[in-house]
Amino acid sequence: MEALLVPSLARIDRIIQETPDVRTYRMKFKDDSLMEKFSWQPGQFVEFSLLGSGECTFCISSSVTRKGYFDCSIKRAGIVTADIHSDLEEGDDVGIRGPYGNCFPLEDIKGKNLLFVGGGIGLAPLRSLIQYCIDNRGDYKDFTILYGARTSADLCFKEEIEEWKKNTSIKVVLTIDKPEDTWKENVGVVPKILEEVVKPEIANTKVITCGPPIMIKYTLQSLDRLGFAPKDVITTLEMKMQCGLGKCGRCNIGSTYICKDGPVFTYEQLKALPDEF
Amino acid sequence: MSFSTFVTDKNGLQKLYEAIISKHETFAPVEKFGKYDYKKVSSLEECDPDSPIAMTMSVKPLFFPRSSKIIKYEATSAGTTIHETEQDQLAGPRVILGVKHCDARGLQVLEAVNKWDYIDSDFLKRRSNTVIFSTRCDKADTHCFCTSLDYDVENLDAMDVAIVSGPDGKIYIQARTEKGENFLNQNPAPGSQSPAPSAGEEMKKQYEGFMTSFRLKMDYKDVNEKMAKRFDSTAFEEATRNCVSCNTCAFICPTCHCFKISDEKIKDTGVRYKSYDSCNNVYFTLEAGGHNPRPAKYRRWRQRSMHKFVYYKERFGVNLCVGCGHCAISCPVNISIFEVVNHVAAAPTEV
Repeated sequence: MEALLVPSLARIDRIIQETPDVRTYRMKFKDDSLMEKFSWQPGQFVEFSLLGSGECTFCISSSVTRKGYFDCSIKRAGIVTADIHSDLEEGDDVGIRGPYGNCFPLEDIKGKNLLFVGGGIGLAPLRSLIQYCIDNRGDYKDFTILYGARTSADLCFKEEIEEWKKNTSIKVVLTIDKPEDTWKENVGVVPKILEEVVKPEIANTKVITCGPPIMIKYTLQSLDRLGFAPKDVITTLEMKMQCGLGKCGRCNIGSTYICKDGPVFTYEQLKALPDEF
Repeated sequence: MSFSTFVTDKNGLQKLYEAIISKHETFAPVEKFGKYDYKKVSSLEECDPDSPIAMTMSVKPLFFPRSSKIIKYEATSAGTTIHETEQDQLAGPRVILGVKHCDARGLQVLEAVNKWDYIDSDFLKRRSNTVIFSTRCDKADTHCFCTSLDYDVENLDAMDVAIVSGPDGKIYIQARTEKGENFLNQNPAPGSQSPAPSAGEEMKKQYEGFMTSFRLKMDYKDVNEKMAKRFDSTAFEEATRNCVSCNTCAFICPTCHCFKISDEKIKDTGVRYKSYDSCNNVYFTLEAGGHNPRPAKYRRWRQRSMHKFVYYKERFGVNLCVGCGHCAISCPVNISIFEVVNHVAAAPTEV
């Protein structure tokens, strides 16, 4: 019964403490043949469940080009995520359904300059695409990552960011909101650094952004001022979801199902939706 | 494809019902304290397939149960095991007698969301394994407005068999689908004859008489169009101020289909459920981080009424309301979806 909603078991291989309240859970399906068949596109999400606590929607934060595992990066925020952080250990089993949703427009961004703008945990969905693009680096022109967080401790994926910095074909710009003694990089909110430090080229550039609502709001305004066309700005939405299948009605915005028609939208598409976020 | 019509009398219909109940798993309206609900029956005495009043609860739970088990699981230090739950009790084959036309239409409307993209095969199987007998109402109830919403008397295929009680005192039994036709061939009504030439006439007369009994009428196309332009209207707040957010309307609605997924675990074993939820519930869209896109009651009502008369129509080509009036009958503060959408549609567009 309810075959669509039955999860498969995956085992947590590794837990990486990214920040005080974000952890990356690296896992694979217990059934090897399932893991081999499991394929996803950057931007897609899974329904992740800690059996006994409940099911939550998380984007897959790693790329399908990194074989044999997948990551979910989870911030401690609500009831289930608090249980995940406190109860889930390496070697434990979780339930997974998916992958669901659309993905970043991989064809559209080919041959373009890529500008990633991330804030806080918002780097998680971008990371899947960043890894994918790094693994297919020849398909893209300039590659810039602007990433900010409130404090240096709140920056996710620190080890990986160090690797990105060593990659000479990628420009990495980091920022935190307020100065810290040991911090050598930029200080200031993401939209400010975008306009004052990154000063991106507009022509032939696709911007992919994700972050907290307040950052998105001001980043979209900055991108507007810089002259980016709404169709060249791509973001991924966060809405309360449950089924992920376009059935349960939770993520309806107008006649759009965020879980099916999204979560990835261009700014142009977002503007056409009823103002209900 | 044209289907057969049989003619019989009250006695013949009773005998047909009795034969069906004795041979098939059968559900029918059962009265309790003046309220009717569709229940499993084993004899005709228990039920009233031709119940005169609007149902209190829709037929929806027989296809989309109030709560169903998704999985059972055991989680111990040795590992986790997931068990698929027991056999689907609603998978049929079965017959439902006395389904109101509005209820049958509700299932048809629900089919759209259940078969786009990911297919809910459980829902579709329950429907395809069910023969629906629908008795056409003779008189509208206080809150009925079904004939205002895509009620196409010539092309009714929401039910498999229609029962019409003609003004001439005869009972007309009409197959409306191939499934209904086959079923009637295998389960003929005793004493039924091939239809008199006047059968069509009599059924039409019945329908005309039924049509005149409606208190409520609306032009839904006009409502669709006007509501789409009134997203920012204050009329949503005015029309729903008294709502106590009890969600009864959504639970008894033949077309509301929002659900939630929840876990219940005691010690090492647990169950995951799929159960009804409603967009009128304040927690419906509350995100883990504390943000809620619909914190105010009128916003949730806007979603509910726009979903029924604008969004679903845009997406699936049909209104998510069949005009059954169940919501108005059971609402503790007398809010009717009919009044809400008409109030909004009549409001000025300028805010």
